[in-house]
Amino acid sequence: MAEAITSAPPLVRRRSIGELLARDLRALPIVIGLVALWIFFATQSDVFLTARNLSNLLVQSTVVGIMALGIMFVLLVKEIDLSVAAINGVTSVFMAKIIVEAGVNPWVAVPLAILLGALIGSLSARWVTYVGVPSFVVTLGLGLALNGLQLILLPATARYSLNGTGLEKIALINISGNGAWLVLAIGVLAFATLVLSEATSRTKAGLETPMMRAVILPVAAAAVFGLIVVSILSAHKGIPLIVLIFGILLGLGGYVLKQTQFGLYLYAVGNNDEAARRSGIKVHQIKMAAFAIAGGVAALAGVIAASRTLGVGVFSGGGVGGGTLLLESIAAAVIGGVSLFGGRGSIHAALLGALVIGTVSNGLNLMGVENEIRLIVTGLLLVLAVSIDKLIEKATGQQSF
Amino acid sequence: MTDMSVGRERHVQAQGAAPLISMRNIHKKFGSLHALRGASLDVHAGEVVALVGDNGAGKSTMVKVMAGAHMATSGEYDFEGKPVKINSPTDANALGIQTVYQDLALCSNLDAVQNLFLGRELTGSGLFGRRIKRAECEVKAREVLSRMRLGNLSLTRPVGAMSGGQRQNIAIARSILWTPKVVILDEPTAALSHSAAEQVGDLIRRLADQGLGIVVVSHDIHNFVVNATDRIEVMRLGANAASFRTGDVTGEQVVNAMVGGNEGVNLAG
Ligand SMILES: Nc1ncnc2c1ncn2[C@@H]1O[C@H](COP(=O)(O)OP(=O)(O)OP(=O)(O)O)[C@@H](O)[C@H]1O
Ligand SMILES: [Mg+2]
Repeated sequence: MAEAITSAPPLVRRRSIGELLARDLRALPIVIGLVALWIFFATQSDVFLTARNLSNLLVQSTVVGIMALGIMFVLLVKEIDLSVAAINGVTSVFMAKIIVEAGVNPWVAVPLAILLGALIGSLSARWVTYVGVPSFVVTLGLGLALNGLQLILLPATARYSLNGTGLEKIALINISGNGAWLVLAIGVLAFATLVLSEATSRTKAGLETPMMRAVILPVAAAAVFGLIVVSILSAHKGIPLIVLIFGILLGLGGYVLKQTQFGLYLYAVGNNDEAARRSGIKVHQIKMAAFAIAGGVAALAGVIAASRTLGVGVFSGGGVGGGTLLLESIAAAVIGGVSLFGGRGSIHAALLGALVIGTVSNGLNLMGVENEIRLIVTGLLLVLAVSIDKLIEKATGQQSF
Repeated sequence: MTDMSVGRERHVQAQGAAPLISMRNIHKKFGSLHALRGASLDVHAGEVVALVGDNGAGKSTMVKVMAGAHMATSGEYDFEGKPVKINSPTDANALGIQTVYQDLALCSNLDAVQNLFLGRELTGSGLFGRRIKRAECEVKAREVLSRMRLGNLSLTRPVGAMSGGQRQNIAIARSILWTPKVVILDEPTAALSHSAAEQVGDLIRRLADQGLGIVVVSHDIHNFVVNATDRIEVMRLGANAASFRTGDVTGEQVVNAMVGGNEGVNLAG
């Protein structure tokens, strides 16, 4: 009897709306929310939808977006890093100090800062995994300590100017004209190569591969999306270098999470670390790598922030306690769909979450609304985004993974 | 003793052939607690052995020693007729002994293929560490699942969205992915409905028919043990209390032997 049931031919399963929402279309509510925000702000301000403003919006969202991308790795393994903003601050001050006081070449100082960030991250991971103190506590304490260190590193003027070091240019460079289209072409080509290589290996292995759904549609979608973005950016000044950096990080991050063994292990460890351990996965090493990535990426965001503000100071890294930078970075990841309980979230979370936060800030600013209101709205949006996620989960009976 | 090849022969049903695993006079102490007191257990190819007993009888300890998760304090352990020393689960895996623990050790956010291969992915070199050869994993997964007649399991749905029975099946499939000789299952039907337990029973039977030796720890005497196994080994207080051929006994007799109520039905020896 049971055999007859289990040996039935594979059914062609139709996927329910609920299942789609729970998996492939998990990002849909947040995209709809983003579009709604844009429509709202477009009705409130004539300037909002101009190429110039959308360009600015993207630039304003990059630092938080990059931070969110880094934190995501730590959230995936079911840990948290509350020191990322402090790492961002202290490494950028360190970098400025060695450039300004010791005359170190920025080409050396920047990688050094990123390495330092990764090192700090891996140290807190070691503390978490070997001593067994929760990451919440370790990184909270570490963050405060790094804040102190940042203040110590700063000179009496409480500020290092980076004017004239060349670093200030990072935030000013735009890739315009044919260069912008070339960048787009390279990006789409890289994506197409990846998708195609996957499809070819499936075909080679004898698996049925729907060319249309597996290759043509995703590549076409990516190309159209890229065309729109680059057209808008080109209508202003071109692709800002820091936006390109963010884009490259998103691409690399997506590849690592989706295609590599390390990426898979991040999800496994975050969901069931005991199962991962029994499968022979070195859980401690995976966690350490996640913290190192978050630290290194936070340092890179620090370099970009320093370039945008033409220098570093007490305010770097969001100021003492991490300020809004820390909260917005975590909020961006969570709004984008990364679970605080580990094992769930895709790379686009960093982009979408940062865009939501950036849009609110940019739009309210255009409307002349005070900063206080911006904080309140952002906070409420965070709770709303997670609530919608939960409601979908309840309504569809699909647990979110 | 017989040579190694005997154990590899498929469909060895005869009790006369050398057992795949022979554990004799096993003692295990946890500090002052004497959990196993001279327990013995044989596992033959093509046979499903049930290990039953009251709570605390030492069943889990026994299978953990078998699987390398615990070291015996003393005793003999032969694999395919040769004495072996198993110091870790990895040693046991290398010999071809796989364990499906009661908690299944699956990641609910990963799909069946990812769970089947977890920790042992087929990979090629790539940017930033090894790149998973998803297509090849999928082909091998399909092959194993269809061998188990589980061909209609979804390979792409997260296993957290699957039923308890399906999850159990995936955990078992994972244990046989690398063609082991012995599979140990601790309480495989504990969380399952009657019909799902029946399907697990069928699955275990098919594996045994393919020549594997199966050890099942179970409390489900009346439904599962008396229907789905070949031999029942009863443990009490860390030692063997009785041994039955499954067809020869009723559930009551087994339970009596477990609690020590009626020594008369003890057919051991
Ligand atoms: N790691 C351990 N440390 C100390 N004592 C242990 C350990 N594991 C088991 N024991 C003890 O050994 C004895 C046998 O336990 P075991 O888990 O093997 O019983 P069991 O037959 O599997 O019982 P159950 O049916 O409840 O699962 C019990 O008294 C238990 O408390
Ligand atoms: Mg037990």
